[in-house]
Amino acid sequence: MEYKEVTTSIDGAWNFSKWEWKFESIALIGRTFEAMKEHKLLGNKCPDCGTVYFLPKPFCRCLGMPDEFVEVKDTGTITTYTVTGAWGYEGITEEEGAQGEPLIFAGVQFDGADTKVVCVVEDVEPEKVGVGMRVKLKWPDKLEGAITDLSRCTPL
Amino acid sequence: MGKHHDVAVVGVGLSKHVSKRRDVNMPELVWEAVSACYEDAGLKPKDVDAFATGNMPAFEGVNLPEEWGAGHWGAYGKPVLRITTGGTTGGSVAHGGYYLVASGLYDTVMAIAFEKQSDGNQTFGLNTVALADAAAQFKMGVDPGFIAAFGGGAVGVAVYQASSYMKSSGCTTHHLDMVSALCRNNAALNPYSHLKQPGLTPEQVAETTLLQYPIRFGHVCPSTDGACAMLFTTPEKAKKLTDKPAYVLSVSSCSDEAALVGIAGSGTTNVDPCEQESCKIAAARAYELAGIKDPRNEFDLAEPYAPFAHQMLMFYERLLLCDEGEAPSILDSGSMNLDGELPVCPSGGVISTNAIGASAMERIAECAVQIMGKGGERQVNKEVHKAVAHGWGGAVNLNVVAVLADTPRG
Repeated sequence: MEYKEVTTSIDGAWNFSKWEWKFESIALIGRTFEAMKEHKLLGNKCPDCGTVYFLPKPFCRCLGMPDEFVEVKDTGTITTYTVTGAWGYEGITEEEGAQGEPLIFAGVQFDGADTKVVCVVEDVEPEKVGVGMRVKLKWPDKLEGAITDLSRCTPL
Repeated sequence: MGKHHDVAVVGVGLSKHVSKRRDVNMPELVWEAVSACYEDAGLKPKDVDAFATGNMPAFEGVNLPEEWGAGHWGAYGKPVLRITTGGTTGGSVAHGGYYLVASGLYDTVMAIAFEKQSDGNQTFGLNTVALADAAAQFKMGVDPGFIAAFGGGAVGVAVYQASSYMKSSGCTTHHLDMVSALCRNNAALNPYSHLKQPGLTPEQVAETTLLQYPIRFGHVCPSTDGACAMLFTTPEKAKKLTDKPAYVLSVSSCSDEAALVGIAGSGTTNVDPCEQESCKIAAARAYELAGIKDPRNEFDLAEPYAPFAHQMLMFYERLLLCDEGEAPSILDSGSMNLDGELPVCPSGGVISTNAIGASAMERIAECAVQIMGKGGERQVNKEVHKAVAHGWGGAVNLNVVAVLADTPRG
């Protein structure tokens, strides 16, 4: 039998971003992204238990179906965080494998929402970050109407 | 409550657990546990009516493992039920074995769970699990670099849970170090554990490399090759086989949303990753089915599923064994030690041994072993009448709970 150095591969692109989703989250988030172009953060509210989801979701954990869009503020509170930089795909050494400057990733609960989103916290030393710290969204100069508009926060 | 039959555990078998079993292949590794289980129960393959089995094929890259059932488990001509639920696989497989007997459909059932992680690449396996989430995030325009920096693999999930839990409970990094020291010292007494570190101190754990705040290398489970098998049967048959069987009083599972931090999109959650509401629901349901009214005082032993140090304390609370935020001080009191009031993870826990597909079953197996008094050096310093075993996994959204005892519900 012929020995091959590499396994057989099939030509073609596997582009996730081109996948079409029927899942309703994407449609709901699309509405939020549109609103973000006007500096508004839109979540949705469950009619049964009142939980406000930001980002919006099609189903509530009480099994209600959030149907009303409500505005949440661009200030919020850190609920959890970590500091990256020590972790690399190839290994766990502190120096090698670290990807650039350490980033502070945090779960941020924006005021008016009951749920959290992930943001990078900037303009602060890792030692000074903590759960409970107040932050404000850094709106980019040029809004794209995408999740990246929502990805950076700064201490309030 | 319910019309289900009581179920007895008459045999437990474990393979040797190390990071790379180069001396055996996957079916041979499983046979070590299966043969030990037959021997422990005094049964032969012809005595078994049905099999439940499971692992996480993504981690080995070897699919259809049940095809070795007939040859390596003694399952010729027998029904085989395969169950795969991620980190909870072993727990779900044991639940499957329990249901087969409790339903009255079969008398004697063997449950087998295993993982030979060195055959594959578990980071790649985890990535296939994460793909469903990641694909939706790409669609939303998230930079792949953002997802990579956010924290890959299992540690990336655990760090957010740990930060949040530490704030809400007052758990300090010293408590994390203490959990690792407690578990690894227990593991040193368990011949089937992987990481044995006798005499390990919290101070030594604190000196290990920081992986990603707040989790250090010493706070994380190893990746293990290993297998576990259990034999379930009716109380009537159990009495003929052994003087001291263990009984499974109840099992319960509960699904929640995947508990990362809250990028919605493909169903990932918006809830706090340390909340683990589904664990509380599963525990409450299991206790009700088992007739446990006062879990804080009725249990003699707990085996929570804790691959990361903070999870031993967090799940101790979520299993309703104390108030929320109380576990760190209970750890301080020494109550969780092998000779304490309510020993936790006498086996050494998942933080010492993690053959992923088998891990949640090994929690149940350890409870059974301790009730049967077969714990050897790690046998706790008290009579074990009731014990609770737990598993956590799925797409980090599933909690499974089992209650075991030395007497049936009656």
